Amino acid sequence: MKWRPILLRKRPRDLPTMFLFLLPSFLLFAVFSFYPMIAAIRLSFYKWDNLSVAPTFSGLNNYIQLFSNDRFWTSLRVTFLYTVVVTAFSIILGLVLAVTLNHRWLFLKSFWRTLFFLPTVTPLVAAAMVWILLFNPNFGYVNTFLGYLHIPRQTWLSNVNLALPTIMTLGIWRRVGFTMIVYLAALQAIPQEYYESARVDGAGAWQTFFHITIPLISPTTLMLVTLGLIDSFLVFDQVLVMTRGGPSDATLSIGVFLYTSAFSFFKLDLGATMSVVMLFIVATITILQWRFIGFGTSEMEAI
Amino acid sequence: MDIQTFTPMIKIMHPHRHFILPSRQKIMVNLALLLFLIPSAMMIITPFMWMITSSLKERGSIGEPPYLYPTTFDFSNYQEALKDTPFARYYFNTTIVAVAVVLSRIVIGGMAAYAFTFLKFKSRDALFLLYLSTMMIPFYAIVIPIYLIVRDLHWFNTYQALIVPRMVDAFAILLLRQAFIAVPRDYIDAARVDGASHWSVLWRIVIPMSLSTVLTVAIFSFLFIWNDFFWPLLAANEDKMRVIQTGLQAFNGRYNVEWTYWMAGTVIATIPPILIFLVAQKQFVSGLARSGLRG
Repeated sequence: MKWRPILLRKRPRDLPTMFLFLLPSFLLFAVFSFYPMIAAIRLSFYKWDNLSVAPTFSGLNNYIQLFSNDRFWTSLRVTFLYTVVVTAFSIILGLVLAVTLNHRWLFLKSFWRTLFFLPTVTPLVAAAMVWILLFNPNFGYVNTFLGYLHIPRQTWLSNVNLALPTIMTLGIWRRVGFTMIVYLAALQAIPQEYYESARVDGAGAWQTFFHITIPLISPTTLMLVTLGLIDSFLVFDQVLVMTRGGPSDATLSIGVFLYTSAFSFFKLDLGATMSVVMLFIVATITILQWRFIGFGTSEMEAI
Repeated sequence: MDIQTFTPMIKIMHPHRHFILPSRQKIMVNLALLLFLIPSAMMIITPFMWMITSSLKERGSIGEPPYLYPTTFDFSNYQEALKDTPFARYYFNTTIVAVAVVLSRIVIGGMAAYAFTFLKFKSRDALFLLYLSTMMIPFYAIVIPIYLIVRDLHWFNTYQALIVPRMVDAFAILLLRQAFIAVPRDYIDAARVDGASHWSVLWRIVIPMSLSTVLTVAIFSFLFIWNDFFWPLLAANEDKMRVIQTGLQAFNGRYNVEWTYWMAGTVIATIPPILIFLVAQKQFVSGLARSGLRG
């Protein structure tokens, strides 16, 4: 008879253990993840804009209301713009930094890496506080610095055209270190032989970069794009602290719109409908990520 | 040939030569790289410098002098920020919530990861996938029903409102399971044959052999709670129950003119995560890279 490890045998007396070990996590997931998701979807089909009155079924009315609401489209546009700009800039700058830090002759590598990573561990709310002060029209350092370059003072966060770009700079500042670290790991995983044979063939630095480095790290790029899309799409903390969506909805992200609709005006039905739309968008991006690059990527294990 | 593979040979032939040979070229390359790195680094550290400099200025002189580096060192802002506002209270609240969440994510997550790794039962993989599926639910999608549950439990402005909805995290279970898989089965089988319960196998063998991952989970859970803003904003808006980030946000209205206090408070809120990062950089970076698979 073939010997089988004890734990793989059918062992009915493990069943109580299994039950007890999984019970706490299952209960918590059920109450704080699965039930709320179903409840949010259900609520999106009910009319409930007054907490003291019972919800009444209203079919697709909330969706019709939401999609005919101009502010919803404004928030989608703002969020989309923010997401694309922050994701693109943080990936490009992160890659440039990673390639620079990956140079084999650079001194003090770990010093630079730590320095560029600091913003990523800074709490968002704290960073947003500093941004308010940095971009203060009267005594912020940004206006002082621009004064040295003879550029006129700006009102930044209260200017309809500049408020969103100002918030974007915080997003990029905070994200660059993350993309840099991930790219560094990917770059270090590229076998040196590729570069040596390119050198033997007489390829220049630019050619090597565009024909060897970029294609070989494209799975990492794809992963960073999907992560960046999801992360930036959910932007909330810094907007709420800095502008609360203003001036005149110029920085109204979907998260802030949801928050103000549901918890300032208590239109919980509209909020739940927005929840479902957000869930749908994020789930689509996540599923695409899992389909195209798998659940995790092998070069990530290299760190 | 690559310099790195070549150096040992040179070393044998000329013990000092490899220090001299590439050094001029190396310095030139470093100078070129620094031309790019220094301006980039300036942009990264300017906010930190402005925060620290502003926190050390005398009260009422926030814009003057307009330098990035401190010219005055008025630490009274820190004393005032800690005394004048319930800032110490925010710190205390955040610490309680963070410790509770860290412990529960390790204990409850460890138990679940143990079941998923070492116990065989029907539909185990399906249940695991169901757990993992929670990683792609954005908090915004479920916040309204959670808010209503907490309201019905009369939990607003209590620690349990801040702790219980955060007590379990699929990503922590995933990381722990990855670490548990690496524990040799023989150890567990031997302990089981000797009559050890699964509970003691988990705490005496499996967890001690996965300490690095446990530490990663602890660090990430702590930082998650430390930086959390949206949920505490809804669950605890009474001043004595605020956590560090919502407390900072509350400064916004209360101390609109007292920028120096404000920045002192911001520095105080920023120190712990940065310290943790500097001390546990290795755990941090590996955990972050693995979080790449998080949705």
